[in-house]
Amino acid sequence: MWAIARTELKKNIQDIGLWFWTFVLPIIFIVAFVAIFKGDESASYQEVVTQIIPGYTVMFAFFIMISMVIAFVKDRERGMVARIASTPLPIKDYFIGKWIPFMMIVLIQITVLLTFGVLVYDLALGDPIALITLSLALAFIVTGFGMAMAVLVKTENMGIALTQVIALGGALLGGLWMPVEIMPDYVQTISQMLPQYWALEGYKEIILQDGGVSDIWKPLLILVGAGAAGGILAYAAYPRFLRQSRS
Amino acid sequence: MIDVVNISKQYGAIQALDNISFEIEEGSCFGVVGPNGAGKSTLMKILSGILLEFKGDMLLNDHSVAKERMYIKKRIGYIPQEICLEETLSARDNMILFGKLYGLSGKKLQDRMESVLEQIGLSDRSKDKVTTFSGGMKRRLNIGCALLHEPDVVIMDEPTVGIDPQSRNSIFTIIEQLKASGSTIIYSSHYMEEVENLCDSIGLIDKGQLVEFGAMNELLERHAAPSLFVAGGSIDHDMLAPFGSPVEKGDGFVLTSDSPLDTLEQLVSRFREDGIDPRRLELYRPRLEDIFFHLTGTQLRDA
Repeated sequence: MWAIARTELKKNIQDIGLWFWTFVLPIIFIVAFVAIFKGDESASYQEVVTQIIPGYTVMFAFFIMISMVIAFVKDRERGMVARIASTPLPIKDYFIGKWIPFMMIVLIQITVLLTFGVLVYDLALGDPIALITLSLALAFIVTGFGMAMAVLVKTENMGIALTQVIALGGALLGGLWMPVEIMPDYVQTISQMLPQYWALEGYKEIILQDGGVSDIWKPLLILVGAGAAGGILAYAAYPRFLRQSRS
Repeated sequence: MIDVVNISKQYGAIQALDNISFEIEEGSCFGVVGPNGAGKSTLMKILSGILLEFKGDMLLNDHSVAKERMYIKKRIGYIPQEICLEETLSARDNMILFGKLYGLSGKKLQDRMESVLEQIGLSDRSKDKVTTFSGGMKRRLNIGCALLHEPDVVIMDEPTVGIDPQSRNSIFTIIEQLKASGSTIIYSSHYMEEVENLCDSIGLIDKGQLVEFGAMNELLERHAAPSLFVAGGSIDHDMLAPFGSPVEKGDGFVLTSDSPLDTLEQLVSRFREDGIDPRRLELYRPRLEDIFFHLTGTQLRDA
């Protein structure tokens, strides 16, 4: 398991595209959108930065799914899935080994973006335990979804397209770009079915309402539950994934 | 001893393997031969414990691949047809990955890495990224990664596809070393000459069925009659038919007869009488390809 994790981490560190998607692009978006909306008289500065920084952090966290799709599909197309299946490594260890580095990357991403918010925009983060717990839950759901998507999609392009639908569609409808309160009622109903909405609600509760872990139990439950569903789906789809492996 | 017992595998409506059974002696090299799509790779994947759903069983020293998959996997080194390496990492990193997957660590892993790198001739390139390697070097590393844990059985699925003759020869050297060290080898290929030269016994597979298996000499005795090879401008099937059973092969004919030396004399007399100067007229050593043709009516290369 650790051999897989170590290898995956080494590969990801060398991937310049991953650095760009994970750190550079989110910071550009945060800087640009804070600059645009900080003059908005209908919202306070704190409301603007609390909407934009956690909002884009949640949105870009979902883009890890692209890297996961690429990693798994490449493994399948190069025959690596079958090759690893010929070793004594249990299937669950294969998945955990692949999952750990992506979980780490998302956690580092969240840390970097929120720290950027604190240092540049005086973002008040609130209870650190609640913040860490929610960030772990966010990293868990995006990587859980990523694993399911990576194992189920037929091609890399299909995975990238679906990730963009989930990340951008979820960002729009989940209130990451603008508060859900200003959206029509039916969109607000849809929002509540999306993990992005619950992740942002959790961050807002911690940052704006000074909430603790007990105040964000509902977002935590939804995020962890959905992430676990993704992981179970990926595990269940493994025999099909293995059959499709070359070699 | 490896016992393959009634293995069948179906992909939807396609019967990839149909009730295949054979035995492989410990320390021998067993060749699996057949055209592309015959079911060789499917058989290799079952024997190496990759495919999870199939009928029948393989027993390695009385341990079942169906019931004791982990036991079998620890004792087998599988070398796939594809080059399964992390190309953006170094040869050493790839070896660390596979070594650890087979449970090696610390000094044992380091020692085995040095030894295998030496064996596959990549000691001086071990820190280079695999992307900088030639196709032959990648193939050798692909093999090396399966030898780290000193497997009892090495399964090689078309290990020489798409490489230059020099690299092919170095792979043959590795195989000879493995044979000398007592490893059991299961070697799949559609290159007949390789199998004839390397393997002690052979299984011929066609359309998912094992059409024959045994030692090379036994197969020749059973299925390949003594023959002559005749080639020349005006020599055709009708001219040769009175002397035996001519079959077109390459630019000439293989002429099967009960007594090839007598037939040779008769042909020489006939050619002298008719003023025919054959380009080639020689005793023909039957090849594996001829046995396959005899059994299936199909040329291996055309199938």
